[in-house]
Amino acid sequence: MSRGNVILSAILWSIVALLILYPLSILLRESVIISGTDAWGIGNYLEFFQDPYYLKVLGKTLLLSTFVLLTTTIVGVPLAYILARYRHRGKTVFTALMLLPIVLPAFAGVFAFIIFFGKYGTLNLLLMETGFFKQPINFIFGLHGLVFVQALHMLPFIVLGLSAGFTNIDPSFEEAAEVEGASSFRRFITVTLPLCTPSYMAGAVIVFLWPFTDWLTPMILGQVDILPSVAYINIAYHFTDMHRKYMGIVAVVISAVFCISLFLLVRWWVEKKKYTGLSKGTTSEGRVIEPGPLLKTGAYAYMILIAFIVLLIPVVLGLSAFSRRWVFEPFPTYWTLENFRLILLESPILIKNSFLFSGIALVFGVLFGLPAAYLIVRTRVPGKDALDFIITLMLAFPGIALGVGYLLAFWDTIPLAKYWVIMPLALFARRLPYFLRMAHASYLQLDISLEEAAEVSGAGRFRTFMTISLPLLLKGVLVGVMMFFIMAFQEISTAVFLYRGGWETLPIGIYLNWHRGMEFGIAAAMAFLMIAITFVLLLIASRIGGNMLKAAWSTDEE
Amino acid sequence: MAFIEIKNLLKRFKKVVAVNHVDLEVQEGEMLTLLGPSGCGKTTTLRCIAGLEVPNEGDIIIDGRSMVSQGFVHPSKRGIGMVFQNYSVWPHMRVFNNVAYGLKLQKAPKKEVKERTLQALELVGLGGLEDRYPSQLSGGQQQRVALARALVRNPKVLLLDEPLSNLDAKLREKMRFEIKSLVKRMGMTAVYVTHDQAEAMVISDRIAVMDSGNIVQIGTAPEIYKNPANKFVADFIGIMNFISGKIVQGPQGTDTVHVRTEFSEKVLCSADGVPEAEPGGTVFVSIRPEDVEVFPTPPEARENVFKGVIAHKAFLGNFLFFFVKVNGTMIQAQVSHHLPQEEGQEIYLSLDPQKCMILT
Repeated sequence: MSRGNVILSAILWSIVALLILYPLSILLRESVIISGTDAWGIGNYLEFFQDPYYLKVLGKTLLLSTFVLLTTTIVGVPLAYILARYRHRGKTVFTALMLLPIVLPAFAGVFAFIIFFGKYGTLNLLLMETGFFKQPINFIFGLHGLVFVQALHMLPFIVLGLSAGFTNIDPSFEEAAEVEGASSFRRFITVTLPLCTPSYMAGAVIVFLWPFTDWLTPMILGQVDILPSVAYINIAYHFTDMHRKYMGIVAVVISAVFCISLFLLVRWWVEKKKYTGLSKGTTSEGRVIEPGPLLKTGAYAYMILIAFIVLLIPVVLGLSAFSRRWVFEPFPTYWTLENFRLILLESPILIKNSFLFSGIALVFGVLFGLPAAYLIVRTRVPGKDALDFIITLMLAFPGIALGVGYLLAFWDTIPLAKYWVIMPLALFARRLPYFLRMAHASYLQLDISLEEAAEVSGAGRFRTFMTISLPLLLKGVLVGVMMFFIMAFQEISTAVFLYRGGWETLPIGIYLNWHRGMEFGIAAAMAFLMIAITFVLLLIASRIGGNMLKAAWSTDEE
Repeated sequence: MAFIEIKNLLKRFKKVVAVNHVDLEVQEGEMLTLLGPSGCGKTTTLRCIAGLEVPNEGDIIIDGRSMVSQGFVHPSKRGIGMVFQNYSVWPHMRVFNNVAYGLKLQKAPKKEVKERTLQALELVGLGGLEDRYPSQLSGGQQQRVALARALVRNPKVLLLDEPLSNLDAKLREKMRFEIKSLVKRMGMTAVYVTHDQAEAMVISDRIAVMDSGNIVQIGTAPEIYKNPANKFVADFIGIMNFISGKIVQGPQGTDTVHVRTEFSEKVLCSADGVPEAEPGGTVFVSIRPEDVEVFPTPPEARENVFKGVIAHKAFLGNFLFFFVKVNGTMIQAQVSHHLPQEEGQEIYLSLDPQKCMILT
């Protein structure tokens, strides 16, 4: 064990201690304070579990989680199967579209669907024009709408995991079942699906936990008795009533503990169940089937339907962004650039802040993530697994918990929250796993003997990293950088607790415009802008990554 | 003094002992092979020589310089060349840059880098391919790039870790001779790791057979083939019949030992190398299939003649292979002349006592 690695480990650990462990310990401490007294105890927690209101909220949140998971599963399994197994045209386009919701901010979807499915939204107006419906139908406000919006947002986690699973199964497993005489449906149920459960579960747990994190969608859809929304309201609106504030913190801690426990449980189960090691080498493409004409038509119809719903988000927001006073009409009639003029000329600070904060967070993320990935994968420094563990937990950690923790921790003793640097620091801590996981995964795939070959050739450790490891990790690092930036760019749950006048980012701007009296036009224009920026970022990254890598990796057919 | 000296080398992975107090010397200009099944510690030993593993105990001395006991020497400072099992040719660099990498690190003048790199590529038969990317090369060509990369700095020591195991059989056989003549021509000291006994026999001056972290036997290929140190070595190198039995009578001045086996009360064996053969000990009577003689009728004036039934007979081109059942014990025999007897028919085996070794 070299001294350099130990020093590196110490540096990374102190960063994690300051930016993750310390604020969370403060959060825990606050949750046991009994308001109005100097005493502390578990009274707040007891009250939470005795108060019928909080119990009802907890129950309803669990119900919501169940519905969201069920919906994503029922919709996602066939979708993943079609994408992974059927030979069809436009595979890349469809795959990209199905994954779109993940990179779009969650609240962008809500706004678009309210405009389209709302009481006097496009769909209802069109239906009433036909004359068959006298009254508008409530498509969106209520639990059913909440399930719909959250399920669509989380659908990629199921589809992503499952289609990778369907692709990576060794074809011989299924062929063996076929030879044994299983029908294709039976084979799917008894062999394919069970083999994919680990990859399904890994995504499913993230889906299930989303209602414990997303506080904004329920509030917009008028469902305030969902745990994170209750916590948010308690903390953000009741700073005068200290008891309610502490109860909010308790709610935050409880959802955090719940999320982390469930996440760990599933992770442990998935690790135990991994089947991938059982097969010898797999083909890169996996099994691809040519479906019959009827099945093929059905598959296309299914994909197009879901693609249509996904595309509603940018299209509707676009229509809304370029128009004014779009009410009681199925489509806007008054076109204008006024919304954009307001955003770009009168408050360009939001855009500047978004880029600045996410950019700085990204620099922190790379500076931290690359050495961390090296330490975790390539060294035997004690405590490196714990480091990996804590950072991975941040994936399941509710943004509210981090935001509140930061607010409490960095006010008096370490007054970081008084300076704007708190914004990029918070984004860095919250989105770090997105970069680290990518760097980590690609590091694992990098054959260690490629690095050893450089060392034997006379290169020191640092030079080996710069000339061999980094160029070979580039693909993973670029994808990580891209994911990190996009996720930081749309972050709101943590930032909303920390921003002060002049530090607003685009997502906060959208929220404030909705909050201050339904300035839908401006909010929609901002959301549309975010989608456009996200899209361009994706395009640039894949462009750079693709070109740089193509030269080195392509195989000339000879 | 030996060029590479391994002294009392111990390497543990957590609780598993991979290399167990191994001593080994490699002479200057010698090509030595570490041979053994997977998990025997051969690759770990090689990686310790390269400096890719840090030994728990012991020392490694290369060209008179200690690599461990007087401060651990990083692989980059050992002046060795190494060829890895999966080639490990860097996919993001052209062939030229792959080979020139080490020279550039030495800060050699540009002109010299170019000359020596092209020379090395010429040497391994890749002249003209320096602008290709590894993905545009076949497996065999990639292996040659790896070889050129290891040779280009003229290292005094060349380490090869199963370099041919990913190639197809034909190419593998060809490359064995190429590597050997290349290393000999450059006068390098080489340590070669393989689990393929045929490869070891072709390529090396001496072979060190390893089992569970220990070196069981060191010697030239004929020495090890003819006089294996124990049953493990005999089993690993070539094919061997093992017949378990008990010693009835030691040499007692003669050159044979009397052994009782399952199928016969009396089998005579060579007393060579078994001075301590005590009556009563369980041993294995060991004989190579090519030393078993086969007769259609009982041969005269021979000892150790047994009647058996042909269980399987296989035609393998230049010889016939028999599995013969003698009173329940299966004995393999290899015969280079034609015999008309078929499966199920009786046959006579003659085991020359001088060729029956006693192993434990």
